[in-house]
Amino acid sequence: MSAVLAIALKDLRQRLRDRSAIVLGFVAPLAVAWLISMAFGSVATFHASVAVVDLDKGPVAAGFTSFVKSPDLAGLLTVKSAATEADARAMVNKGDLGAAFVIPRGFSAAVTAGNGRPITILASVDSSIAGQVARSLAESYTAQIEAVQLSVKTAVVSGAPPASIEKLAAEAATLQIPERAVSQASGAKTLTAINYYAPAMGIFFSFFAIGFGARGFFLERIGGTLDRLAAAPIGPGTILLGKSLATFVYGMASLGTVALVTTLVFGAYWGPPLAVTALIVALALTLVSLTALVITAARTERQSEGFASILTFGLVLLGGNFIFVGGAPEMVRTLALFTPNGWALRALTDFSGGADWTAAVTPLMAVLSFAFATGLVAFGLRRRLVNQ
Amino acid sequence: MTNTSGSVSPGTTMLDAVHLTRRFGDRVAVDDVTFHVAHGETYGLLGPNGAGKTTTIRLVCGLLSAHGGEVTVAGMPVSTTAPKSKAQIGYVPQDVSLYPDLTARENLTFFGRLYRMSGTGLRHRVDEVLELIDLSDRGNDRVESYSGGMKRRLNIGASLLHRPNLLVLDEPTVGVDPQSRHAILESIRALGSSGLAVVYTTHYMEEAEKLCDRIGIIDHGHLIAEGTSRELVAQVGQKDRITMSANGSLTAFAEACRSMEGIERVDVTDSSVQLLAEDGRLRLPQVLEAASRTGTSVRSVEVDEPDLEAVFLHLTGTALRE
Repeated sequence: MSAVLAIALKDLRQRLRDRSAIVLGFVAPLAVAWLISMAFGSVATFHASVAVVDLDKGPVAAGFTSFVKSPDLAGLLTVKSAATEADARAMVNKGDLGAAFVIPRGFSAAVTAGNGRPITILASVDSSIAGQVARSLAESYTAQIEAVQLSVKTAVVSGAPPASIEKLAAEAATLQIPERAVSQASGAKTLTAINYYAPAMGIFFSFFAIGFGARGFFLERIGGTLDRLAAAPIGPGTILLGKSLATFVYGMASLGTVALVTTLVFGAYWGPPLAVTALIVALALTLVSLTALVITAARTERQSEGFASILTFGLVLLGGNFIFVGGAPEMVRTLALFTPNGWALRALTDFSGGADWTAAVTPLMAVLSFAFATGLVAFGLRRRLVNQ
Repeated sequence: MTNTSGSVSPGTTMLDAVHLTRRFGDRVAVDDVTFHVAHGETYGLLGPNGAGKTTTIRLVCGLLSAHGGEVTVAGMPVSTTAPKSKAQIGYVPQDVSLYPDLTARENLTFFGRLYRMSGTGLRHRVDEVLELIDLSDRGNDRVESYSGGMKRRLNIGASLLHRPNLLVLDEPTVGVDPQSRHAILESIRALGSSGLAVVYTTHYMEEAEKLCDRIGIIDHGHLIAEGTSRELVAQVGQKDRITMSANGSLTAFAEACRSMEGIERVDVTDSSVQLLAEDGRLRLPQVLEAASRTGTSVRSVEVDEPDLEAVFLHLTGTALRE
């Protein structure tokens, strides 16, 4: 055991003296997480400024304006005033408005007569989400009007007394159609960019430990120090364990630091501390087994660099470290479940959405199974460390 | 130097390498090699590059598994799967095998820990070895800042840390400047004198002749001859050649030499006489006295003794290749 510790401590000491290892393990993930959080902010705090240009001045148009200004939408929209369509267009182009509604003249009369007239949406390509939200709100209001018209027509066709038609129309207008724009987050907590990309980047950069570990091993072989290790009264398993332990500690330190700093400095939420720690430990074990696999599978330093790069980028691309897998097509989501990082990110995303520690159980088992399986293959190949 | 890995009496066999065979694919790198090294003996493996010296060394140190034969050190079998017995061996690889980004002290401490050394004992031993290799004042400097000679000394020091009973050196003077080479050879000689069994591979015959008590000549994976330097030379039956440049009555001088015991052949040219003799240096006073007696004025004398180069040439039909 002391030989395992000696090898691990020596490797860590060398890694601490290697600036690239420090940059990739600690500085880069924090820098990228910070940049992403600055660029995207929080996806749950979407807010847009809009204006309603009422050229109609009729009761139905007034109803739409009231709808847009309703307390339900206050968290989502700030309604500004614009007198004319030209004013509204200028404000949208300037970026003062995310979108504008233009209610045409004769809109109320046309609706009352049973004819539809479209509400025009002015939106900028620079704020496409605001345009989509505005379009949804207009469609929602139009659907409400059509529901009232349908109620009245049905009553007339069914032979309702004329005196009750007006009352029926008023009652129908108060009904809410099922589809409404509601300002509400998807979970008890919100999934922000930093909540997703802090762990995603942390895991991505921690995968560079595979390359560092494998390269370190082959540099020992080239430099002849591996012969010295093999000439000592220790077995090849001890060498592999010592090197693996160094990778484990490096992975833990890298991910732990990113978790701590992004939580304390950038306000990221990773999840319940114990569950997150368990996931970090499992991921660090995965790094160990993947490093061991690369070391035992490769024959040369160059081959080990190639294997490590393929593994790192293959896993992060499939696992969703660069794109939010939750919003991706089914096939991409399925592929992510073949990767340990995909499972870990799934758990961390659930935590971010308000799930409790139990959300980590299945992902934890999946990550550990992956680590165990790859570790087993590496262990089976350990004799290749000597006799080469 | 005291050895702590077990009590071994002088003269007892420390290393037994018996019928060692190792193949790489179809190529047989080491073919049925057998040799023994006694406690306190320095054994040289002499051969050209590619002869199988390093492979033999790697088999002896348990770095390679043998396809045939066995190695025992102090009676304990050595193999890639028997790490315990490796504590008896100090291995000095051919290239400097140290961590350049660590200091000499850190390197030695690390290698010491691999041999289960720890605490104060390890610290003291590191100080001792640094003193031994004359690097005490540079012990806390990173190895990357060392000269080639200093690295070579540390390379040997790292193998002595755990006080092995058998020191195995694989061409430790390759690419070393003459001054460092001399220092390395002196330190190995001192280690041998202290009772350590030493296996030393080289393709420099003068190193083998000066340093080794016995020499094994290896070529194409075969151990083709073994013995002391003198035994090997005697084995091929070659004589010393004495060449003398002289003026005067060379014919009379040659006749006087022919009648001497131990002189086998005399050739005379215009200004020189060549003698073929057993133990040429021993015959020299007698020969010079004959020159004086016959009125021959000797300008220069050169004695060529047959060396390991000649032995190798005799055994293989080729010169020791670089």
